[in-house]
Amino acid sequence: MKTNLKRGKVTMAIAISIACFALVLVMFMQFKIVNQTDITAIENMREAELRTELANWKAKYEETETKYQETSEKIEEYQQTKQSNEETEKLVDTELDQVNMTLGKTDVEGEGIEIILRETEDEDISKIKAGNLLVIVNALKSAGAEAISINEERIINMSDVVTINNTFNDFIKVNGQRILAPYVIQAIGNQTYLESALLGNGGCVDELKKLGHDVSINKINRLKIMKYKDEIKTKYME
Amino acid sequence: MKNKKMISIVLGAMCFALTLGICVQIKTVKGSNSIAGESNRENNELRAEVLKYKEKYDNQYKELEKAEKQLEKERQNSTQNNSDLEKKEEAITQGNKIIGMTEVTGPGVIVTLSDSKRDASTALNASDLIVHDLDVLSVINELKNAGAEAISINDQRIVPTTSISCGGNIININGEKVGAPFVIKAIGLPEQLAALSRQGGYLEILKEASVGVELKKSNNITIPKYTGVINYKYAQNVK
Repeated sequence: MKTNLKRGKVTMAIAISIACFALVLVMFMQFKIVNQTDITAIENMREAELRTELANWKAKYEETETKYQETSEKIEEYQQTKQSNEETEKLVDTELDQVNMTLGKTDVEGEGIEIILRETEDEDISKIKAGNLLVIVNALKSAGAEAISINEERIINMSDVVTINNTFNDFIKVNGQRILAPYVIQAIGNQTYLESALLGNGGCVDELKKLGHDVSINKINRLKIMKYKDEIKTKYME
Repeated sequence: MKNKKMISIVLGAMCFALTLGICVQIKTVKGSNSIAGESNRENNELRAEVLKYKEKYDNQYKELEKAEKQLEKERQNSTQNNSDLEKKEEAITQGNKIIGMTEVTGPGVIVTLSDSKRDASTALNASDLIVHDLDVLSVINELKNAGAEAISINDQRIVPTTSISCGGNIININGEKVGAPFVIKAIGLPEQLAALSRQGGYLEILKEASVGVELKKSNNITIPKYTGVINYKYAQNVK
């Protein structure tokens, strides 16, 4: 009787563990499938979408590859110049230059466009606001602008554009500096891309024009954009 | 004996529930696959190509990350016995943090913007109920104004070239598709950043429009690095 009971228990335990095992197995299968949903998202795309997606990934891949090669070259150069301080200094300096360029701490030059916004004198028409400038800057960035400034204030990563409400007269601040109309926005990048990002029916420039403000866009082949004047300080991030 | 019965009943019920759940799962997964498969079979080649490039990119990116770490080490090694160079090395590392090329941590706030839960048919303008690209852009601008040092939206790091644009029911950030809810993380003085929820601020305007707004202070926020590459084709440094 005792052995029978034991045997029953053992078979039961085995049965339960087999069931559990099977369940866990199925669960893992499920997890795997859920993990692959990224791929199934691609499965659901239509042809046009797929083509843009393909171009997108191709461009990203190529960018990454070039960057990888550059980085590898730098590593090699560092290894070769280990002995000589002077040559190491050159390498460090070029790297620092590149970082400073992205930070906005250097003057840069290249082809680009200049947008001049002159406010209408008609007092019934609402003035140009910080939001308008912000949208223009955003549009320029989406068109691949490599450096942007508003009235000589360089737009850096943490630049803000805000309207300060004053009792007598509202004004706009960029980087905490007060700027006055006419607003001159300069951007370096592909001239055609930059221009077409702003123009177009219902675009941010079109809107201002319809309100009655005067907007002119000039293509400049050697545009110089000044560096960010202050020091860029950080206190909280590590 | 009673105890045993109870146990077996409970076990039986559990097994039954689990099996049921799994059956449902399998059915859904099968169902969704077959629908997609039928309508899109002709694009298989294109799809394979996309996958191939995505994989290639992923691999290349991993390599790049490794190389960048190695470069940092090499740079440190080469500059460690010269205080002048060491300073420059520090400036590079610090600069890379600011432009978003490395992960950063610190105190700050997490702002979550989600589409309104209100029934769209009851709203005067249904468009007011969802979070738009302009809303996100404005919130980011206010965060910068409040002294944010690093910002990300749904783990997309804000870098100098980042733009935010509308892409239908999603928005595009850094060329990646991002959907609601938007989780915006910012590092800076939490008290100052939390001033975003002041009266008349943009968050208040969004709340009025019944968009879901949540602001949380945190002492430990991690903001990932930018997963792209910043390249210059047109701009050049002027000496």
